[in-house]
Amino acid sequence: MSLPIIIAISVLLAAAPAVAQDDLEHDDHEAEAHEELVVMDATTRAEFGIEITAAGPGVLRLRRTLPGEVRANADRLAHIVPRYEGIVHDVRAAVGDRVRAGQTLAVVEGDASLTEFNVRTALGGTVIERHVSLGEAVSRDQALFVVADLDSVWIDIAVYLRDLDAVREGDPVTVSCGRHDAGIAARIGYVAPVVDEATRTATARVVLPNGDRHWRPGMFVTAVLETSAEPVDVAVLPSAVFNVEGRTCVFVETDEGFVPRPVTVGRRTDDLLEITAGLAPDEPYVVHGGFTLKAELEKASFGDGHNH
Amino acid sequence: MLDRIVDFGLRNRLLVLVLGLLIMLAGWRAAVRLPVDAFPDVSPNLVQVFTVTEGLAPEEIETYVTYPVETAMTGLPGVAKVRSVSNFGLSVVNLYFEDGMDVYFARQLVGERLQEARERIPEGFGNPEMGPISTGMGQILFYYLEDATGTYDLQELRTVQDWLVKFHLQTVPGVTEVLGIGGWEKQFQVDVVPEQLLRYDVTLDEIIERIETNNLNVGAQFIEKNAEEFVVRSVGLARGVDDLERIVVKTVDGRPVFLVDVARVGTGGAVRRGLQSRNGTSEVVAGQVIKLFGTNSSTVIAAVEEKLVEINGILPDGLRLVPYYEQKSLVAAAVGTVKGALLQGVGLVALVLLLFMGGLRPSFVVAVSLPFSVLCAFLLMDQLGHTANLMSLGGLAIAIGMMVDGTIVVVENADRRLRTAAPDANRLDVVGAACREVGRPVAFAIAIIILVFVPLFMLQGIEGKTFRPLAWAVALAMAGSLVFALLMAPALGAGLLRRPRAGGGGEPWLVRQLGRLYAPILGFFVRRRVAAVGLALALLAAGAAIAPRLGTEFTPRLREGTVVVALTMAPSISLEESKRVVQIVERRLLAIPEIEEVVSRIGRGEVGAHTDPVNSGELFVLLTSPDTWRTDGTQEDIEDLIRHELGDVPGVLVNLTQPIEMTIDHLLEGVSAELVVKVFGEDLDELLSSAGQVAAAVRTVEGSADVQVDQVVGAPQLLIRLDREALARYGLNVADVQGTIAAAVGGATAGRILEGVRGFDIQVRYPAGARDTADRIADILVSAPGGIRVPLGDLARLEEIVGPRQITREDNQRFVSVQCNVIGRDIGGFVADAEAAIAEQVELPAGHLVTWGGQYRLQQEANRRLTVVVPVVLALLALLLFANFGSVRHSLLILLNIPLALVGGVAGLALTGINLSVPASVGFIALFGIAMENGMVLVSSMNRLVDEGLEPLEAARQGALGRLRPVLMTAITTGLGLTPLLIATGTGSEVQRPLAVVVTGGLFSATILTLLVLPALYPWFTGRSDRSGSD
Repeated sequence: MSLPIIIAISVLLAAAPAVAQDDLEHDDHEAEAHEELVVMDATTRAEFGIEITAAGPGVLRLRRTLPGEVRANADRLAHIVPRYEGIVHDVRAAVGDRVRAGQTLAVVEGDASLTEFNVRTALGGTVIERHVSLGEAVSRDQALFVVADLDSVWIDIAVYLRDLDAVREGDPVTVSCGRHDAGIAARIGYVAPVVDEATRTATARVVLPNGDRHWRPGMFVTAVLETSAEPVDVAVLPSAVFNVEGRTCVFVETDEGFVPRPVTVGRRTDDLLEITAGLAPDEPYVVHGGFTLKAELEKASFGDGHNH
Repeated sequence: MLDRIVDFGLRNRLLVLVLGLLIMLAGWRAAVRLPVDAFPDVSPNLVQVFTVTEGLAPEEIETYVTYPVETAMTGLPGVAKVRSVSNFGLSVVNLYFEDGMDVYFARQLVGERLQEARERIPEGFGNPEMGPISTGMGQILFYYLEDATGTYDLQELRTVQDWLVKFHLQTVPGVTEVLGIGGWEKQFQVDVVPEQLLRYDVTLDEIIERIETNNLNVGAQFIEKNAEEFVVRSVGLARGVDDLERIVVKTVDGRPVFLVDVARVGTGGAVRRGLQSRNGTSEVVAGQVIKLFGTNSSTVIAAVEEKLVEINGILPDGLRLVPYYEQKSLVAAAVGTVKGALLQGVGLVALVLLLFMGGLRPSFVVAVSLPFSVLCAFLLMDQLGHTANLMSLGGLAIAIGMMVDGTIVVVENADRRLRTAAPDANRLDVVGAACREVGRPVAFAIAIIILVFVPLFMLQGIEGKTFRPLAWAVALAMAGSLVFALLMAPALGAGLLRRPRAGGGGEPWLVRQLGRLYAPILGFFVRRRVAAVGLALALLAAGAAIAPRLGTEFTPRLREGTVVVALTMAPSISLEESKRVVQIVERRLLAIPEIEEVVSRIGRGEVGAHTDPVNSGELFVLLTSPDTWRTDGTQEDIEDLIRHELGDVPGVLVNLTQPIEMTIDHLLEGVSAELVVKVFGEDLDELLSSAGQVAAAVRTVEGSADVQVDQVVGAPQLLIRLDREALARYGLNVADVQGTIAAAVGGATAGRILEGVRGFDIQVRYPAGARDTADRIADILVSAPGGIRVPLGDLARLEEIVGPRQITREDNQRFVSVQCNVIGRDIGGFVADAEAAIAEQVELPAGHLVTWGGQYRLQQEANRRLTVVVPVVLALLALLLFANFGSVRHSLLILLNIPLALVGGVAGLALTGINLSVPASVGFIALFGIAMENGMVLVSSMNRLVDEGLEPLEAARQGALGRLRPVLMTAITTGLGLTPLLIATGTGSEVQRPLAVVVTGGLFSATILTLLVLPALYPWFTGRSDRSGSD
């Protein structure tokens, strides 16, 4: 008579914990993932913004943005000192005055001779410093005036160690000051052979004509160095390159669909990448929307991706 | 004792009736204020600790935040499991407490330890906080801000949400949290131009410090003037962009450098990890209202809605709050379904009573037992702190038919006795005798019904939480019906029942007809027992043959009436790309004519309710009115439609789910898989390789399917590895460099700007163009001692690597899980084989541990419990029966009803094509009790006849004939009580239907067999033994 009880128990046991055979749905994309192929119709392609373009040759422009400072051209600068020690009787120039070569800037009475003599500038230009006032005692080791020819100025650019090798004399550079300045094109005139001990930077110099006095010594400037403009055979846009399962890949279209093509990236700039291997010149590649393809490939693996 | 109770009721009729009325009134009050939920809350008993640390990678989050929190929490009483997830910028520690532990106590425990955790987390690495006092059912209303004017930008809208809408909504009683998402959180942004730093020779740190020290108010007590006190306060708070711009960051030779000279100051949107999109074209600002644990959903929702109207009134013109998801409709639908079933059941039962009792008075007495039992159940549910929901109300609906059974038997007997009693007998005495006569079997029968529901209390996990309310409701209602049958029914009956007037006597027409039909069939079976046995065996065989063919499933899915399309995108996806993809899907969905609107949540907003990463999108689908649909309109149809029309979305996993289901899945965190192997260990790479090997080993085991290693990696990182020698050359500290990196790239907060009470962060950072690529980051200048500036590229190596997208830990250890399903074999055997395969094929590094979990664990546990509980219950049933009858044979005879009833249940499932599931099992359990009830009534009646001196054979015949009415009545009332559930199609019916089918089917077979087979077997079970002496 225990039979019904056994039946009862077994039915109950079979039923109560029930078997969750089919509660996990799985998409059947795993097969696709292993083939590394993404098939997509034209509508979906347009919907997801997948664009193809040819990998053409390109020119890599490597750029560096470096800080710099406007300085008076030391080749066109004069420190004006009195011939003898004495007392200043007259000052005839102020900072900012344009002066001719030979013009008298001050009159000093010599201590020894007690006669007046003129202090003249050796260089025509602009007085940029004055260290003298009426009645002051002056000596020969003290410059009364600094006169600079501001028709040209120096731009001293601080080059950090990592960029040093890339900066050469003659390289093009764009110098600008402030946010609203478009900048002026010039070339590096000089790269210092030594590095400053304190700042660990080397100085690269640009000589700029300054007829309009736009560049004022002491000004802070930004120099954009175009260290090279190198033509390369195969270049792609940075938006095309992805890391697919640990390999650097660009997506290309085959007859069956899109596949990731492992490539080797050479030099890179903000807007262009050199491909040294993996992609032929003029080969079409996916320039936009590659992420969708990458995601589709990885879809099987990211499972039910919530927190657990 | 039972007799005394009956006598007491009869003697103190007024007292008892008043008492009954009071109970009903109290029950009514309880019913009105009982919290109403849609479904029983199956969320785990969980306290979540969130720590937001903007900008930190999972590894650092784990080390600096998650680990300290976890260790602070170890050893808390009642903690069943600690699981943590360290994500980008967010640490979530889930403390799973044992079920039944008081939420507030648990939170208090956590709160105490949180203080300790705060001390262990380094300064500036975030502040751990507990999540809202709510559960997975707590998300009662989602809304978005509609801007009809089109003039508000997303930042303004978010400010309205965070500082106006949120504050008002949070004051609604029962709302514990309002979480904003979408748009941009306003902040004051100081974009420091790197060149300007060089130009003026200031550092980022100096700027941050200057901003902080130039933005405050102080109080300086008071001064006295002319006997008056003047409070002294100094006002120096920056009030906006202008004030910030004029902050002096440096003074050289008396010439100030203002902030405006070195930075662009303005307002902008904060970094965000989530957004809200709508209809494939626009972003919106949205909010989620979270209900306080234990509050009444319907009340809170109603209050929130009222508030929404109020807020709409004060919002700037053109702005409006639009709710796009409300639990209200779900609660209404779920409760409506069972309420409807309840009322229809009551109506049907009343009809049956009238037909069978043939008189208004006895029908009335029986009918009163229904409201009494139901209200009694409500009263007790309120006392026990239960909620009214789909399952508990469903339990009442199921019990309707059974609630009246006890009273039917009592009243029917009294009615019958009154008909046959001597004309001069005292009416009270007759009723009393009648009640006493059946009191015992009735009490036992009801006790048995309550008893059979005991195994349901033993169910664990989701099933336990789902079905326990049902079991409680049934048990409480049955207890109420027992009180009514023993105490109230005699008292009411004594007052109301009349002996039939002369000439008008006899049984109702229907009963007489049925009796006429039944008598010959009964006679046939009683005479030919072999035929009876044959019939029983044939049916049993049929049942046994059908049973294995039944489909099985776990608990059927509750339909919430709202479809959510959950998208999982690649883990490395950016928020912008995520938005693009979600909006593409939104547009595809809108192309389906049935869909009116799609509102989506991507990632997370304010932390609290959910912690989704940016690669997850949840699209709420709002449907047009059903009469325009192309399909019949069930949720499945709509889901099929969406599945079909949405098609495959490249790069996206699409999953159709529902709001509550989704939330609870998240809280359960991954136990939804059938089988989960967890590999615990230290090193992430080693763990991954171990997990890979385990997966490979499991794949070799027969029956394995969908074996998958949890994808814990996949988030790309730009790793800045500092070169310590280079740092030494410049005399720099690691912290100096990292401080610059954090502030320049990630941004640093330098205090807040207060606009009234609204506070907005001041964020100092490099402008986008100076920090958004690896090259730019390498260009960032670090200030070294002596005024030197060094580009970061000279101090560190920048690498792009693929790092972990999250680090999961359980019980203080990292783990990687391997999921697996099992096809075509039993899981226990599979696990044994798989364990052997792992032991054989995988060589785990020292310290690595493998554990098995998942749904399989829960099932195993449930199985173990049930293998103990079910036999114990059966033994108790037998004991009860024995106590009633004092005879092993008779007890066995009654137990025989069980398999006969099971046959009907199985047949019912087979006929309707419903799968064998947990609710169906619950139906089988209920059947146990119901099937035995009728047997008891019959056997006790036959025993009495034998005692009165009849032959067992004759007793069987007369007893069966005499009890045809109560047996049929109890069976039909129970069956009809369930009918509304059988045919209901509303929300929740999918869970109730299997149960109703099983009980109805079982009742059918059990009643027929009780009426035909039991009388035939009775003489066998009686003749040869104890009762033979009475011949």
